[in-house]
Amino acid sequence: MKIFIMPPNSLILYDLVERFGHQPLSVMGTLRERVSGREMESPPLNVTPADVTKGLKYAGIEVPSGIRGRMAVWGPMIDEAEAAIIMHDTPFTFGCVGCHRTNLLLMHLIRKKKIPTIEVNYPEDEEEGKIMVSKIKTFLEGLK
Amino acid sequence: MIMIAPTSELTPDQLARFIHSLGYEISIKETCYGANIEGDKDLIAKAVPKIRGLDPNRLFIKVRAYPIGDERRCRAHHGSRPGFNQLEKEWMDLPFIEAGLCAVESGEECPEKPKRKRLSVEKLIQIAEEENI
Amino acid sequence: MTIKIAQISCGTEYSGIQSEIENAAATVGGKMVYPDVSYEEITRAVDDFGFDPVSPQLKLMIARAKALADGHYDADAVFIASCFRCAEGALVRNEVRRYLQEHARLPVVTYSFTERLKAAQLLTRMEALVTIVAKKELLARERQVGLTAGIDSGSSTTKAMILRDNEIIGKSWTPTGEVIGSAQEVLDEALEEAGVKFNDLEGIGVTGYGRFLIGRKLDANLIQEELTTNSKGAVWLADRQRGEATIIDIGGMDNKAITVRDGIPDNFTMGGICAGASGRFLEMVSKRLRVEITELGALADKGDWSKVNMNSYCSVFGIQDLVTSLAAGHTIEDVAAAACHSVAEQVYEQQLQEIDVRRPIIQVGGTSLISGLVTAVGEMVGSEPIVPENSQYIGAAGGALLSSGFLEGQ
Repeated sequence: MKIFIMPPNSLILYDLVERFGHQPLSVMGTLRERVSGREMESPPLNVTPADVTKGLKYAGIEVPSGIRGRMAVWGPMIDEAEAAIIMHDTPFTFGCVGCHRTNLLLMHLIRKKKIPTIEVNYPEDEEEGKIMVSKIKTFLEGLK
Repeated sequence: MIMIAPTSELTPDQLARFIHSLGYEISIKETCYGANIEGDKDLIAKAVPKIRGLDPNRLFIKVRAYPIGDERRCRAHHGSRPGFNQLEKEWMDLPFIEAGLCAVESGEECPEKPKRKRLSVEKLIQIAEEENI
Repeated sequence: MTIKIAQISCGTEYSGIQSEIENAAATVGGKMVYPDVSYEEITRAVDDFGFDPVSPQLKLMIARAKALADGHYDADAVFIASCFRCAEGALVRNEVRRYLQEHARLPVVTYSFTERLKAAQLLTRMEALVTIVAKKELLARERQVGLTAGIDSGSSTTKAMILRDNEIIGKSWTPTGEVIGSAQEVLDEALEEAGVKFNDLEGIGVTGYGRFLIGRKLDANLIQEELTTNSKGAVWLADRQRGEATIIDIGGMDNKAITVRDGIPDNFTMGGICAGASGRFLEMVSKRLRVEITELGALADKGDWSKVNMNSYCSVFGIQDLVTSLAAGHTIEDVAAAACHSVAEQVYEQQLQEIDVRRPIIQVGGTSLISGLVTAVGEMVGSEPIVPENSQYIGAAGGALLSSGFLEGQ
């Protein structure tokens, strides 16, 4: 199944989803298609002002352009997602590469979609690591 | 992108040499944290499980947005981004995930801890009054 | 020499404007650089700074600013930007800008953007940043020497001024029509008043929107954006070359707020998105009120803006409010005062919030001749602005002053 991960650029979540037999939907994968597949109009991410307008599907015109641009990239991933893992309490460097408002909107959209979703906490020690990994494993195996 | 957890005894050099020895026609770049590999999707899909086998709970793998050596995302040219700092932090914490992977492998029960509740107002008042005395 | 401009920003890449920023810098001989910081440094910087925004990229902005202030990273100027309408971003943008101005002697420009970036405006900002660094010695010039001319090709009017040995000997202005024709016209008139010939000129400095076109045509020895040129012209005309000041320049189409230290800008903002914050608004009001623009200021001085209800700064809807209030029995004086107040208030909200206003305030540009607007700006900032004589000629004066900087030593 296609699993949306949140934060969408997490190494840990990407690895675990793939390790336990599913396809992670990640921002890196989406951006990779963007930066290597077609002509580069707007380096570095190739998010063009026209893409930012496409983000209007997910957030209104009064929402800052940076959020709409992010949603233009990540919104379609949520549309595609069949299940999701949300990780909370991530250290600050996590998140949609920068904007917490976008994070909040993404989480809301995932929950609204009512796909199977698990919410876990970022581990701060080995014991919490065990809890998180076992929860994710059980969740992913249950999806098969 | 392949990252070696700080607890692993594997070096990037050993990792890169192992991938070379698999004999697939893929590009391999040794990095300070592990290696980046690039090539035909099917070949990468075949290589990944074998690479994981080298140190299953201490090697972590994800896709990377930019091709190997791409200047647009080169740290030397653009400075670090939150994505880089995030990897720094995730790398530091990989031992916690390793512990988790080992636990699920051995079938260890990992019950969730009950959430901490906030102190009730009544209790707080009681403490404050006791402190006053 | 490539000028290194440190970019401290959030949202530029996902707004699709990062390449525009880099191109603008490259066009004017600058290069965007990105102070490198580690995870640990970000944590420490946010703690030290005492502002802990939730968004990671804003934390990174703080850490990058600290790296610059602490001298861990080398740059010549700073470009601070965040998304328009983001409250968290705006707070950090302003605090980081204040911090850098206090802790690093680097010229700073702040910018809030949408995906519809105005490339020309961005270019002017970048050019000004680069000029401040690259032409530091030229900008330090306080006295004009020899015989030089300055031309300011603005969007509404074109102005020319002739200076000889630090004295104004000729000047002229005209509404901007065809760019080169207008410039030639005012230059000829100013030369005539000065009683000198074009070939006698030892230097020509050109600024304003048409600067490149005119500069090439006249073979000017200085072609420079209006932020630094106007600042020099303003402090020269106001005789405030030393110390600090804030220059408020409300032009025909855009407006600028510039803070200077010894005549050299260290922070500036530029408007230009909305005609409601420009001289054009007052021009339109005059037409609707059927009074000359030259009379509007005196009328406004006699009126009370607070009696008129304006629900919009917009040059369509706002002016409609003014006309409606005339119909409702308000005096033309009150309406003129409300129009001036509206422009001043919008400049205050849009531009003056992005800089730390330093006294004295020097108000310049064509609109500084409208006394009602000067009064309104003064009320807004709580200090009566200085309006130097010839305040509409700042660009031309600055051009003539700076172009003479190439003469000595020849």
